[in-house]
Order: sequence, then structure tokens, then C-alpha cells
Amino acid sequence: MTTTSTPKPTRNAAPRPDGELEKLEAVWRTQSGWRFFSSVNNTNIGLLYIATALLFFVLAGVLGLLIRLQLAVPDNHLLGAETYNQVFTMHGTVMMFLFAIPVVEAIGVYLLPNMLGARDLPFPRLSAYAYWAYAFGGLAFFCTLFVGLAPDGGWFMYPPLTGTRYSPGLNADFWLLGIGFIEISAIAGAIELIVGILFTRAPGMTLGRMPVYAWAMLVVALMIVFAFPAVIAGTALLELERAFDWPFFIAERGGDPLLWQHLFWFFGHPEVYIIFLPAAGMVSTMIPTIAGTKLVGRRAIIAALLGVSVFSFGLWAHHMFTAGLGVLEMSFVSAASMAVAVPTAIQVFGWIATLWKGKVTWNAPTLFLLGFMFIFVLGGLTGVMVAVIPFDWQVHDTYFIVAHFHYVLIGGMVFPVFAAMYYWLPLVNGNRLSEAWARWVFGLMFAGFNIAFFPMHITGLLGMPRRVYTYASEMGWDGLNLLSTVGAFMFALGVVLFAIDAFRTLRRPERAVGNPWNAATLEWLPSEDYGNRSIVRVASNNPLWDQPELAREVEEGRHYLPHTATGRRETIATSPIAAEPRYLLVLPGDSWLPLIGAFGTSAFFLLLTVKLYPLAWLCAALAVGSVLAWTWGADRPPPEEQVEAAAGEYLPVGARGAASHSWWATIIMLVVDASIFASFAFAYVHVSMRLMVCPPPGAELPPLAQALTSCGLLVLGSGLVWLAKRGLDKKGHARRLPWLVLAALACALASFALDLQGWRAGLAPSETAWAAAVAALASYQGLHIVLLLILAPYLALRAWRGLLGRRSRATLDNIALVWHYTTLQGIAAVAVVRLMPLLME
Amino acid sequence: MGTDAHKEGFWKRVLWATLPLLVWIAHFAFNYGLAAAQCTPAGMRPGGPDRLLLAAATLAAFSICALLVWRACHVLRRDGRATGLASHAALLMAVLALIAIAWGGMPLLLVAGCA
Repeated sequence: MTTTSTPKPTRNAAPRPDGELEKLEAVWRTQSGWRFFSSVNNTNIGLLYIATALLFFVLAGVLGLLIRLQLAVPDNHLLGAETYNQVFTMHGTVMMFLFAIPVVEAIGVYLLPNMLGARDLPFPRLSAYAYWAYAFGGLAFFCTLFVGLAPDGGWFMYPPLTGTRYSPGLNADFWLLGIGFIEISAIAGAIELIVGILFTRAPGMTLGRMPVYAWAMLVVALMIVFAFPAVIAGTALLELERAFDWPFFIAERGGDPLLWQHLFWFFGHPEVYIIFLPAAGMVSTMIPTIAGTKLVGRRAIIAALLGVSVFSFGLWAHHMFTAGLGVLEMSFVSAASMAVAVPTAIQVFGWIATLWKGKVTWNAPTLFLLGFMFIFVLGGLTGVMVAVIPFDWQVHDTYFIVAHFHYVLIGGMVFPVFAAMYYWLPLVNGNRLSEAWARWVFGLMFAGFNIAFFPMHITGLLGMPRRVYTYASEMGWDGLNLLSTVGAFMFALGVVLFAIDAFRTLRRPERAVGNPWNAATLEWLPSEDYGNRSIVRVASNNPLWDQPELAREVEEGRHYLPHTATGRRETIATSPIAAEPRYLLVLPGDSWLPLIGAFGTSAFFLLLTVKLYPLAWLCAALAVGSVLAWTWGADRPPPEEQVEAAAGEYLPVGARGAASHSWWATIIMLVVDASIFASFAFAYVHVSMRLMVCPPPGAELPPLAQALTSCGLLVLGSGLVWLAKRGLDKKGHARRLPWLVLAALACALASFALDLQGWRAGLAPSETAWAAAVAALASYQGLHIVLLLILAPYLALRAWRGLLGRRSRATLDNIALVWHYTTLQGIAAVAVVRLMPLLME
Repeated sequence: MGTDAHKEGFWKRVLWATLPLLVWIAHFAFNYGLAAAQCTPAGMRPGGPDRLLLAAATLAAFSICALLVWRACHVLRRDGRATGLASHAALLMAVLALIAIAWGGMPLLLVAGCA
């Protein structure tokens, strides 16, 4: 991970052969008209993703303005209490789930390949699927507001308020199924980003040379992998409670409403950093450019990113200081909440030192970055205040908290994103946003923000609670609330001015992008649909500053892959630390299948919510069919064994097993899977610990011999899959493979049938939370068996059609991983369920 | 890539650099988990959580991180200007974890019981 080395000389001769560039352009060309929407390349998907996220920012912002209008004067009846509940719930939910997380992923999808010197992300169709799922699901979810079906239990949806007793309608279900599903799309994006960042960097871009923004996105994607499963499990449990009366959160039947809070905030607090760290990465990329000097403390800032990400997982319970946790537990969390300020401060001091050391250029990004630092530091300081337990007890659920988190989120994320849009928008068509307008936009947003939110600290200290739809005049909050409303509209005016400026800038004729800020990172190299003409070899932390000839060399095709070597879309896969070229990664082209699959998936979840079951299952079949059709065309033998990537330098085409990018993506997906399982296991342990006797009276576990037989069948199934793989390795053909895989499936089905029979005999999930928690674990295992039920015939069919071989075996390798994981999960479930009563004896 | 990761010592380097943070995770999870478990109906302990055991865990985690700080300083001194990101990150993360563990252990001196 050293940061300096002698660059290898560029190899290709120039000028390049006639027709080479035309072929490259043809392979990567974006289709026009309505076919544009079948596009999967990161630039197009990234732009659609960013635009959709900004649309949700505006929509949620309008809801925020409605809230401020309602609270502008006392005893206001502009919105009724019920409508107000829906409006504030949707404001928070849409801002957090449909704007903040998606926009940071979207910017990553758009920027990272070019910044890393890749032609595209490694799974373009997965990016397209994730985007369309988010767009369809998000828009449908937002539309619930227009029919009075929007969720109304607050953006963190605490039960028992959101249980069927107090929220009997469909409103809460829309939140649970809609948001749970959209999170799956965020996880798909995270997998894409991790594999892309680790394995498709430009040759020579070691981890030490990787831009800080890419580091931030890598850290954030890993955080998504571990944080999101908790809320996915939580939403599944609450929906199971609502749909089948499994009482996970109902105290009278052994459940615990705090279980939801633990699961939600184990996601919810890291989420704050999932939003902030990409913004911090953008700041660390922009500040050296505007200061014209290297980032001070670069290595310390990267280490601090990692430190923040890990500490952020120990802070969840500081949202629960008034929930009745033990004093010692709360004190540990309080201490961790203060400790996270240390690595955050390292980053802030690094930025200040860089500005100090350099010569700052005053332009639009600079204004927004300085605004960010001012607001975010204030939000951080109030964060340390609320980490102090007695202070938190005083201000919990007051407007002080509303002020605090808006300072953190708008300061820590919205201002950097606006700085980023001013900074990176020229990449779209070469035009910069107006500097003159930018001063107005910034002035209105900065002043408006502080006028809106600073007074809320005081209204909070004066005792105004969150989420009240109106208040009496004698409370003395009138003036401060009116001031907040004025500020909110000033802020909104700034956003409107920005939107007008962006609209007219994007309509201007296209011009050469160049390097308008004299930046050091690779996204400013000349670029088209295919990315850079040739993939660079990087030799420093700041390639465009230290390698001044790079842009010319890249355009002349002197670096890697100045052509399409296989006649298809390609990029170079590199090693994870030193970024040495390893193989040619052939990428899939445009397709409607991701869009159709995403439509089917989102329609399935939404129709399930409104209980249109036959139609819902039809959409599920459409989704599964589309995904299978898209994977059917993948994993074919590469057209050539190896190709010339640069003069005299040959690379193999594709890779197998643990050397392949799809293997790594499957492993990460299984880590997500295991984390969801761990969340269900935590729910089981949590409700068990509330019992005096385990299992509780009336509940009974199946005989041990039955459980062991079930585990044995799972192991046998895995063994058969291992044999099938071994056969392909040794003999090179897959003649026996379908029968072995189908026999393995029979074992898995028999195992689950045994489990079901055992649980049915002694468990009634609607009677106790304990039984429900066991049933949840069993159901999750059942979901995996259903998955195997789809995958096994698919694999057998591929084998029968001759599509499995030594050079086209990713499908087999990846399904084998899923199979072995299912076996391990089944055994782990039995162990957890059996061990807990033994420990409590 | 799996083989490349192996050849480059990817996991070894990642582990050494992030070990202090993993120690912090283990320490935090143990202390929080024990304190929570000993305040539940199933695991209730008279007098509240076992502070001696918690202190011992804190001391052990602190000692490991102190050792990791020493090791990281040694590596930096030994390799001089040739050190890369991983070595610097290991030192900073060890210092961060040391501070967080020391600070996180303070409540043991001040707070007792469950309520």
C-alpha cells in the first residue's frame, strides 16, 4: 500500500488503427428514444438515480414546508392531526430512505467508475435493477399520501403504536413492505460498490493511492452490509406480527416493544454515518482542489473513516436513553457516543489544515463546503450534548432534537451534496452552474437553514415536543415557530433557484468537459459512454497533478484496452491491494430485463400490501422469470482464452471460483443474509431473556433426534452438491450433476418438512413471542429452501443444455455457496434454539 | 481475485490494520451484553452487573490495544519512509481504540446496579 513508485511506461503505439475507436463507441453507445431506459451503463443509471433522488428531496421538502406552515402560528388548523401525522412521517421517511441513502449511492454509481479508471461497475444490470426497484417502489410508496394511506407512526415506526391495535389500517404495512423492499435495493448497490472498488480500479491505483471518496464509499458499502439487515429483520417481524398475530412486540404475550427499537436503531444510527461518510469523502476530494494542495493528513483521514464506521455501531442505544435500559448499558453507549467525536474531529481538522495550507479559490463549491463545516460542527456539538444522559432526558423528543439532527443531516450531507453538484455537474455536458446565482443560492440556503433550525434549539429547551400538530399561544413558542417557518421558505427558495439554474445549464449545448477546477482525480479525464478511451496506469495519489500528460496519453489510446478486445463491453479486473491487472472482465450490455424484474418485484410487494394476492404472485413470477432470463444469458464460455490488453501485455478473459468477481459478490450477499439471520437470532435471545422459564409454558421443542436428522439431511444435501462440483472439476463435464443437485434438493426439502412437522406439534406462534421468534427463524430457513427449489432445477437445466463447463461455471460455484450457507444456517438455527433453554436452566 | 487477495496478503493486512477496532467491538459487545443480560429476568444478578468481570474485560481490551499501539510504532520505526497506508492506519486505529476503551470503561468507576 505504498504511495509512490516508478510508473511503468505506457505501451501502446499511437496513432491507433483505423476503426478501433468506432468499434468501441458502437459497443458502448447509449440508445436513443425510449430505448434509453434499457440502458445499464453506470453513467446513465447514475444520472437517473441522482435525478430521482433529487425529485424525492423536493417532494419531501414540500412536506417539510407543509409542516412549517402548520406550525407557523398557534392553534392552526391548516392540516388536521391525522394528515399532519402522515405528513411528518412521510417527510422523515422519504428524506431518509428515498433521498439521503439513494443519493449517496447514486453519486457513487455515477462517479466511481470514472474516478477509479474503470469502464463501468462490475454488475451493470444489478445497478439498473437496484435503480428501477427504487424508482418504482419509491414513487408508488409516495403516492399513498394522495389516498390517505401513507404511514403515520413516525419515521421510526415504534410499536405498539404501529401494531394492529393502534394502527389497524394499511398505512403501517406500506411503510414496512415498501421500505423493507427499498432497502434490498440499497444492499444490491452496496455489493456492486464493494466489488467495483476492490477489484476494478485502474492498474497501479493501490489502496494507498485510491481517492478518499472511494475509501468513504467502500466503508459505507460495508456499513450497509452490516446495518441494513437489522431493519430488514425488524420490518419482517413487525409485518409478521401485523399479518399473522405473531406477538414479537406485544408485552402481554412475552414480546417487547424495545426489541423493535434495538433492531431499528442498530440500523438507524449507523445510517446517519452511512449518509455522512460519503459526503465526508466528497469533501475530502473537493477541498484539496479548491485549496490547490494535497489533502493534509490523508492517511489519518482514511483511518478516521474506518474508526467512525466501527464506533457508529455502538451508538444505537443512545436513541433509547428514556426507554428504561440499565444505567450501566446506557453509560457504555453514552461513552461510545462521545468517543465517535474523536475520529470525526480528525477529519474536520484535516480539512481545516488543508484550507489553511493551500490557496483557497472562492467559488460555489467553496461556499457550500464552508457552510457545511459551520453547520455540521454545530450539529456535532449538540450531538455530544445529547450523548450526556441527563441532558438527553431533558430534551428527548423535543424540538432540540429536531434542531440537532437537521444540523447534522442537512449540514453533514445536504450542503456537501450541493457542493458536489456544483463541482461535478460539468461532467454531464461540460457546462458549469452560474457562480452569480450560486451566491444567492448559498446565501438563501445558509441563512434560511440557520433561521429555520437554530430557533428550534430554543423552542425545544422551552419544552415544545416533536410531532405535535399545533400548540396553544400561551406556551410562548409563537415567535420562534414563525421565524423557523420564514427560514424554511428562504431555504426552499434557494433550492428553487438552484433547480432553475441546473435546468438551464443542462439544456445548454454540450461542450468539452476539460478539467475546470484543476482537480487531481481521474473522473476529469476525457470521457464518453465507454469511460476513458484507454484505461490509465496510475502512479500517484493525485494522478492528474503528478502525471500532466495523462489526459493526452489516454485520449491517444496509449494505456490499457484502447479498443474492445472481445467485441463486447469490458473492463480490467485488478488485484485488491496493488491493483495489478488480472483478467478481462466482460460486462453485459443493455437490456430491458432489469427494468421488468424491478417492476415485478416492486409490484409484488405493493400488491401484497393491499392484499391482491393472485396478482401479487403473478408479479413475483414476472420478477423471478426476468432475473432468471437475465442470468441465463450470462456465464457463457469466454469468446477467447486471452487478449492483448496493452502492447505485449496479455490478460485472460474471465476468471473462475474465488478469483471471479461474481464469487465475491455472492459472498457479500451471504454476509448480508447471515446478518439478517443473526438479527432474527437476536430477537429470539432477547425474548427468551425476558422469560423465567424457557421454553415458556405451553410451548415445546421437537425431539432432539428429529432436529439432528434434519441437520443431517442438510449436510447430506451439501455433500451431494460438493460431489457435483468435484465431478465438473475432475471430468470437465456435468453429466451426473443434474441428478446430484436434484437429490440434494430432495434432502433439503425433507429436512425442512421434518422441521415443519416438529414445530407444528409443539409451537403456536401467535400465543407467545418466544414461539413466534422460533417460527421466524424456521420461516427464514424455509425462505432459503424455496430459493433452492428455484435454483436447483435452474442449475440442472443449464447442465442439460450444456451450459456448464470448466470455463463457464460461475453459476455452479455461486449456487454451491448459497447451498452450503443454507446448510450452515439450518444447523445454526437448531443450535441457537436448543442452546438458549440449556443456558437458562 | 481470491488468489490475488491471498498472494497480496490482503486479509492479513486488513486484519492487522483493523484489529484494534475489532478488539473495541468485542469489548463493547461483551460489556454491553453482560450488563444487559444481568439486568433481565432470566439473568438478573443481585446488586447489578458484575463490575469486576466487566473491569477485567476492559483491562484486557486496553492491554491488547496498548500492545497494538506499541507494535504499530515499532513497525513505523522499522520501516521508516517505506511504510504504507496500512501501517499508519494501524497506529491511528490502535490509538482510537485505546481512547474509546479507556473512556468506555469509565462508567464502571461511577455507576452500579440496573435501575
